[in-house]
Amino acid sequence: MNSKSETDEASRGNEASSSKNPTPNNTGEESTSGLCSGTVTNRTQDIMKRAAARQLIERYFYQLLDGCGNPNCDNQYCASSGEARNLSPNEAAAEAIKLFYKEARLCDTLPNKVPRTEASSCDSSASTTCNTSTATEKDDNKDNDGNSPSTTQAKESTSKEEEPQTSHNVSQQEESKTRSHNNGAPLTEERMYELCSECLQSKVRQPLIRALGEAFTQPAILARCFASKVRDNADEEGESSTNKETKAMCLSNDPDKDVDSVTGPELDVASCRRAFQYLAKVPSEYYSSALVTALKTLADYMGIDLRITKKMSIEDAVNCFVIAFEVPDLGCSDYLEIALPALCQAAEHLSLKGQARLARIWAQHCKDSLRHILETLQQLITLRVISTNYTRQFQVQDDEVVTMATKFMKIVYYANMLAGSLEPNSLREENIVLARAHDPLENVLGHLYPPSSIKASKHAQPDDPLAIELDINVLDARKPYLPFEEFYNEPLSDTIEMDIDFGNYKTEISKGKKFAFLRYPFILTVASKSLGLYYENRIRMYSERRVSLLHAVVGAAPPMPFLRLKVRRNNIIDDALVGLEMVAMERALDLKKQLVVEFEGEQGVDEGGVSKEFFQLIVEEIFNPDYGMFTQQPDSLTVWFNMTSFETEAQFTLIGIVLGLAIYNNVILAVNFPMVVYRKLMGKKGSFEDLADWNYTLYNGLKDMLDYTGNDLEEVYYQTFRICYQDVFGNAIFHDLKEDGDNIFVTQENKREFVELYADFLLNESVESQFKAFRRGFLMVTDESPLAALFRPEEVEMLVCGSKNFDFNELEKSTEYDGGYTSESQTIKDFWSIVHSSSLEDKRKLLQFTTGSDRVPVGGLSHLKLVIARNGPDCDRLPTAHTCFNVLLLPEYATRGKLHDRLMKAITYSKGFGML
Amino acid sequence: MAATRRLQKELNDIRQSGLKSFRDIQVDESNILTWQGLIVPDNPPYNKGAFRIEINFPAEYPFKPPKISFKTKIYHPNIDEKGQVCLPIISAENWKPATKTDQVIQALVALVNDPEPEHPLRAELAEEFLKDRKKFTKNAEEFTKKHSEKRPTD
Repeated sequence: MNSKSETDEASRGNEASSSKNPTPNNTGEESTSGLCSGTVTNRTQDIMKRAAARQLIERYFYQLLDGCGNPNCDNQYCASSGEARNLSPNEAAAEAIKLFYKEARLCDTLPNKVPRTEASSCDSSASTTCNTSTATEKDDNKDNDGNSPSTTQAKESTSKEEEPQTSHNVSQQEESKTRSHNNGAPLTEERMYELCSECLQSKVRQPLIRALGEAFTQPAILARCFASKVRDNADEEGESSTNKETKAMCLSNDPDKDVDSVTGPELDVASCRRAFQYLAKVPSEYYSSALVTALKTLADYMGIDLRITKKMSIEDAVNCFVIAFEVPDLGCSDYLEIALPALCQAAEHLSLKGQARLARIWAQHCKDSLRHILETLQQLITLRVISTNYTRQFQVQDDEVVTMATKFMKIVYYANMLAGSLEPNSLREENIVLARAHDPLENVLGHLYPPSSIKASKHAQPDDPLAIELDINVLDARKPYLPFEEFYNEPLSDTIEMDIDFGNYKTEISKGKKFAFLRYPFILTVASKSLGLYYENRIRMYSERRVSLLHAVVGAAPPMPFLRLKVRRNNIIDDALVGLEMVAMERALDLKKQLVVEFEGEQGVDEGGVSKEFFQLIVEEIFNPDYGMFTQQPDSLTVWFNMTSFETEAQFTLIGIVLGLAIYNNVILAVNFPMVVYRKLMGKKGSFEDLADWNYTLYNGLKDMLDYTGNDLEEVYYQTFRICYQDVFGNAIFHDLKEDGDNIFVTQENKREFVELYADFLLNESVESQFKAFRRGFLMVTDESPLAALFRPEEVEMLVCGSKNFDFNELEKSTEYDGGYTSESQTIKDFWSIVHSSSLEDKRKLLQFTTGSDRVPVGGLSHLKLVIARNGPDCDRLPTAHTCFNVLLLPEYATRGKLHDRLMKAITYSKGFGML
Repeated sequence: MAATRRLQKELNDIRQSGLKSFRDIQVDESNILTWQGLIVPDNPPYNKGAFRIEINFPAEYPFKPPKISFKTKIYHPNIDEKGQVCLPIISAENWKPATKTDQVIQALVALVNDPEPEHPLRAELAEEFLKDRKKFTKNAEEFTKKHSEKRPTD
C-alpha cells in the first residue's frame, strides 16, 4: 500500500510538472483539459479550473474528516494517520481550503473506502500480471463461445478492447497515471447494499452520503457504476482501454463506432435498479439532499463536457443519463426542481448519436422506467407552467425549464416507440406526386411579389433528425409501449399562445432560433395542434386571396378569391362533384382557398355555417351504401371502399377532396372510416394488425390460426392460398394470393405469410385504384399543410370526426350568454334542465341545429363555444341559430312548457337556411 | 365449381359421412357459400318431423363463422320466429376456425333435441318449457305436425 501511494505521488509530481495548468489537477479528466486548453476559450478554462479546485478541496475535506482508510497512513493531513486532530465539519472545510492553497499532500486511497484491490494489484504489479489476466479472459471467452448470445456479446466487447490492449506495455506508465487520477471507484450493487445496510444499522449517514456524492458528482465515475457482470474481471483494464478509445474517438471523430455497440451497454440496468431499491429502504432524509446536489453537479459537469470539452465518450455520457434517470425519487420536490432541470439542460448538449443511443438503451433495457421518467418530466413541465405567469415578454417558449424538458421528452417519446411494437418501414404507401397546376401568372408575379414565406416552405418540413438517426417513423409504431396520449401535457397545451408558437414554428425553418412546441407535437393535445393547423390554413387562404388581388391589379382575368360552389339542395352530390371536378382539373390551386357554398334559392350567406351543412349533406349521401361507392362493414359499422365499385376514379378523388376540404375548412364530418383509412392517408399501408379495427371477427379467426401450434395445421385448417370475397351482390369471387394458390396449403411455416398477404389483399390491393384516387384528392388540398408532421393518424381521425364524447355538462359550463341572459336567467335554467333531460337523439339534433353538425368538436363539447343570446321578449317565434358562430337565439319565453315546445319544434324541423 | 378447398372438402366429408340427423344437403352450384339441409331430430316433441335449415358461409370462411337459420318454423325456446338460432359455437366471440361444419351441425341437433331454456331467444317459450312441460310438449308437437317437413323414410 505504501509503495502504491508513493508511485501515485510520483506520478502526481510528474503530471504537475508536465502540466502547464497552474491549478493542481487531480482527475484524469482535468489533466487532459490542460492539453486542449489552447482550443477552448478562457471562460471555459475558468470554469474547468474552478471545478477542479472544488473537487480538490472536497477531497482534502473528506481526508481530514474520515481519512484515507489506510491504517499505515503517514500523511499528517489525513485522519487515518492519527496525526491530524479531530475536526468539526466546519473546521475541516476551512482547513481543506488552506491545504488546497498549500498544495498539501493528498492520500490517494479513497475516503469512501471502496475496496480497490483489483485496481491496486494491477497498479503496483508488473505489466505481465495484466497481460495474463487478459489472456485468461480470452480463454474464457473461447470456452463459452457460441453458448449464448450474451457471451458472444461479451466477446464482441472484449475483442473491441483487444487492439488497445496490445499497446498495453508501451502505455503502461501513462495508463497508471490516468488511473491514479480517477479518484473514485465506481459504485456497484453490492457496495450500495453494504452502504445501505451499514447506514440502517449504525444510523450514521456520512459513508453513504459520501459514496453517493463521490459517485454521482463525476460523470467519469458514474458512467462506470453498476457495470455489467459479464466483464467483471476485465473491468479495470477495460476501463483504461475505453478511456483511450474515447480519446481516439475524439481525435479521429470516428462516426459509426458507437452506433453498433448499443447491443452491449456496459451498464447493467437491472443491477442499478436493485441498488436503488436498497437505497430506497434508507430513510430519504438521510441522503436525498446530498443526492440532489450531486446530481446537479453531475449535470453541470456533463453540460460543460458535452458542450465544450467533449472529452467524455458518448457511451459514458449516456450511461450517466440512464443511471441518473433510474433514481427512484426523481419526481420528489427537490429532485424535480433542482436536479431534473439541470439534467435536461445537460442532455440538450448530447449529440444526436448520443440521444439515439439513450433512446435505444431505454427501449431495450429500461422499458419499466419509461413511465416513471415520462411522468417525472410531465410533472416538471406542469408544475412550471402552472406556477409561472407568462406574459407577452416572457412566453412559455422562452422558459428554458419547459423547453429543455420538452426536448428531453422527445428522447423518451422515441424510446417509447422503440420499446413498443414497430412495423417495418417497407409498408409505406407510395408517394403520390401531384402534378403541380401552375398558375400561368406565377412567373410574372414572382417579380412583383416575391413568393411568400409559406410558399417557400413547401418542402421545408424536414423530418426530425433524431427520427432519421433512429430510422423510425410514428407511422411505424403499431403499439407504443406507453400510449401516445400520456405524452400530452394539457396545462402546457392550454398555456401556449398558439399564434406565437405557430409564428416560431414557421420562422424556425429558416433561422432555427425560436422554440416552437409545434416541433414537438407529441406533447400537444389535438385541440391545441388543430389550432395551429387552423392558423396555417387561414394564412394560406389569405395569401391565396392576396395573390388573386394582384391578379386583378395587373389586369389579368381575376381568379376568384374564394372557392365558390353553387349547389342545388336536391341535387347536391352531382352539383358538388361537377363543380369540384371542374376546379380540380382547371385550377387545382383554388382548392386551397376558403370554401364558400351557396344553396340555390336560399339567402344564407356562408360565413362557415352553410358550408358546414353542405358537408353534412354530402357525406350523408356519398357514404350511403346505396350510392355504391362505399360499403358498410356489418361488424364494425365502418365504411369501406367498394372494391367492385362502378364509379370512376375521378369520383373517389372528389371524395378525397371533400375530406381534405373539411379539414382545411375546419369542419367536422360524420364519417365512420376504420382507422386504417387514416393510416393509409398518412402514408402507411394497411397490414394485418389493421384488421382488428377493420373487421374484428376476421382478425380473431386469423389470429387463432397464428396462435395454433400443432403440427397438423394443414389438416385442421385445410386452407390454401386461395381466398374468397363477395361483391356487393353477394357473388363469391375467388382470388389466389399467390400463383397457383389453390394448390399451396397454409402450413406452420407459411401461415404468417398467408395472413400478411391476405391482409394486404383486403386492405391494399383490392381497393388500390379507389384508394389511390381518394388519397390523391385528399392530398390535392392538404399536401402543403403540416398535417402529416403534426398529427398521428388517430389524431387526424379526431380532426375529421371530432371526439365521440357527448358531455352536455361540459357544454353548459363553457356556454356564454348574450343579449341580456346570464347563467342565472330563468329561461336559461329551464333550457339546460330541458336539454339534460332530453334523449341522446334530441341532444344530437340540438347540436345539429345550433352548430350545423351533430359531431363533437375536437377536445369535447367545451370547445364548441356555444353562445345563447336573448332574442326579444316572449313571443311565438321559434328559436333560431347562427350555425357559423354557434349562436342560439332564444326569445325569453314565458313558461318552461312553451320553451320546451318551441325548442323541440325548431330542432326537429331544421333543414335549410333562411331569414326569419 | 369454384370453391375454396376447405369448404369443398367439408361438403364432401359431410355428404359421405351419412349423418342420420342431417340429410338432403343441397348446395347451389353457383354459390357454394350457401347450403341447405334437413335436420332430423330424435327427441320428442320434434321427432315427428324434419326441419330445413340454411347455412350461410361468409366469404372469409373459415376465419369468420357461418350463420345458421331455420327455413322451417319451429316451436323452440332457442329459435326465434324468423328462424334465427343462437348457437354459442358459431358466435363471433367463440368461433374457432378449426371448427368443422359437422361439429356445428351436431351442436345444432343437440340444441334442437334438448332446448336450453337458460339462454332463450323466446322467453315465453322458455318459461312454458320450465313451468309447464306438458303444455309445452303438446304445443310443440302440434306445431311440428302443422309446419314441419316430412321425415325421410329410409
